[in-house]
Amino acid sequence: MEELVNIFVRSIFIDNVVFAYFLGMCSYLAVSRTVSTAHGLGMAVVFVLGITVPINYLIENYFLQKGALSWLSPAFENVDLSFLSFIMFIAVIASMVQLVEMAVEKLSPKLYTSLGIFLPLIAVNCAILGGSLFMQEREYGTIAEAASFGVGSGVGFYLAIVGIAAIREKIKYSNIPGPLRGLGITFIIAGLMGMAFMSFMGIEL
Amino acid sequence: MSQTEQQEKEPLFSFRNVKLLTTPLDDENPITVLVLGICSALAVTVMLQPAVVLTISVICVMGLANVIVSLLRNTIPSRIRIIVQLVVIASLVILVDQILKAFLYDVSRQLSVFVGLIITNCIIMGRLEAFALSNKVWPSFLDGVGNAAGYGIILVIVAFIRELFGSGTVYGYPVMERLGVYELGYEDNGFMILPPMALITVGVIIWVQRARNRKLIESSPS
Amino acid sequence: MKKSNTYIFLYASVMVVIVATVLSLVSTWLGPFQERNIEVAKKTDILKSVEKAERVREVDDRHSYIYEEYEKYIVETYVINHKGEIQDDIEAFDVDMRDEMRKPLEERNLPVFVSLINDDSYKYIIPMHGRGLWGPVFGYVALNDDFNTIYGIILDHESETPGLGAEISTSGFQERFKGKRLFDEDSEFISVKILAPSDSPVEGHSVDGISGGTMTTNGVEDMMYDVLSSYEDYFRERRKEQ
Repeated sequence: MEELVNIFVRSIFIDNVVFAYFLGMCSYLAVSRTVSTAHGLGMAVVFVLGITVPINYLIENYFLQKGALSWLSPAFENVDLSFLSFIMFIAVIASMVQLVEMAVEKLSPKLYTSLGIFLPLIAVNCAILGGSLFMQEREYGTIAEAASFGVGSGVGFYLAIVGIAAIREKIKYSNIPGPLRGLGITFIIAGLMGMAFMSFMGIEL
Repeated sequence: MSQTEQQEKEPLFSFRNVKLLTTPLDDENPITVLVLGICSALAVTVMLQPAVVLTISVICVMGLANVIVSLLRNTIPSRIRIIVQLVVIASLVILVDQILKAFLYDVSRQLSVFVGLIITNCIIMGRLEAFALSNKVWPSFLDGVGNAAGYGIILVIVAFIRELFGSGTVYGYPVMERLGVYELGYEDNGFMILPPMALITVGVIIWVQRARNRKLIESSPS
Repeated sequence: MKKSNTYIFLYASVMVVIVATVLSLVSTWLGPFQERNIEVAKKTDILKSVEKAERVREVDDRHSYIYEEYEKYIVETYVINHKGEIQDDIEAFDVDMRDEMRKPLEERNLPVFVSLINDDSYKYIIPMHGRGLWGPVFGYVALNDDFNTIYGIILDHESETPGLGAEISTSGFQERFKGKRLFDEDSEFISVKILAPSDSPVEGHSVDGISGGTMTTNGVEDMMYDVLSSYEDYFRERRKEQ
């Protein structure tokens, strides 16, 4: 249990997907104009990460890894399908994203239009594929650990995107030089937030 | 479908087609205007060489993927289009990677970093979704190449700035040392090689670009 | 455009079948070539850790050059367990350190490659595998016959950041390890530390890190400690013999 909390907290603050690994930047910068859309995208990411990481964990351990198929028959002891891992992970992610897209379209058409192209782009949001690849690389022991890592990373993304959206709502009232307005200043704010988050680096939990 | 396709036979490099190649370089630059492909722009711009390598790979993959999806565009069911597009990109990249591994092992070892970066590069997926899915093959190809080039330009500029000020070299050549500025008390700015400075560099590039090209200026301040 | 569910289902299945067939065909067809490349790359790395195979970039037939060099300089290979006892039935070259490092210490098969080079001294080459920032890091470390001093090291990675963590695979970084020691004067095992800017150096046991690549070099440091500490008993035994 302690280990689960540990992984969860680590993946939110110390290994924050946005600020420690700089993944998922595109949607992070493009869909953070208002807190409400940021909230929507953030929740979608939490959901997709929370589901795909455990699913991919199962796929990795029961299908792809060398010898993972031996539960079917001992004859498969030496089958190594790991060259398929990229494409399998992506297929799982893409189908989950498609599901989320259909759900959002039904439940909240307003959010659907404001997310625009960035909803399908969650599928290639590197934060999501990154989640699955990190899970593979770090070799978590149980599915609970993998799930805790997935949800934690999602929450880390949520925190980061709602944070920057709040700042952007505030700077509406600032006098920013014309050419720097919008995207330009957002890049710089993101850079500054990144520096701030670097202070978490090196904390051992 | 046959109607629209036969309407006009325009020359390969008509005004409209050339526009497809050139607008992504400035007016609709994928990084600074459309906000696509940022992650890889942070990861490979510490030095010029990987930035150039990634640019070339993305141009190839994007041209090809756009052509394939554009060929398939009338058969792809819209509900599973994301999966189809991703499968096309991923299979292309994996195929190239496997072939390199068998025949050009050294190259593949150096490129292994980029395989993941290309598959998850939202620029490719973004253009498939926004252009290739609803356009003919040749314009799609041009759009892919143009966007990849627009992306590459920003990558190379950022990498140049970061390598020059972060490590004092340009494409591995020790410029700062040759200029002798170290003796004057100059030091490399270690901060430039950290990812946050890539963000800030891109921010400044956007500033410069929009100061020059004023129609890109956004009305709302945030 | 709207299509019926049957169409979608069929489309997806056909796509999966085509892609899976093409990928597996390519993978089986190219498999032998790839395996040969991997074998040659592994042998090259082993040779490079003792500064052999230096003409690998110039020769036309790289494969036979590497095979020749390997025959010439690698005189003996064997596998030990954590107590230093030789395991007879395992071929050292086939041991995958990645799998071994996942096992508990007692079950690990630990390969040793013995090399005899020009100055008539034996070098002992140990394969290593660990985790960097984004993916695996790996390499080979060659020890002098005092089982203490590092003669040479080769490090490589799969996906570290170019210009930062990826610098571990440059000879400039690897040069720093030469002559470093694993045991201190009191015969205490301490491996080699890779310093972050805030750390203070330990004489003979530390090398400078890479700015901006601390997360990767930490991975390398952990890898060296984890791998070499599994060999600790064996090293001690051999040191006693001298």
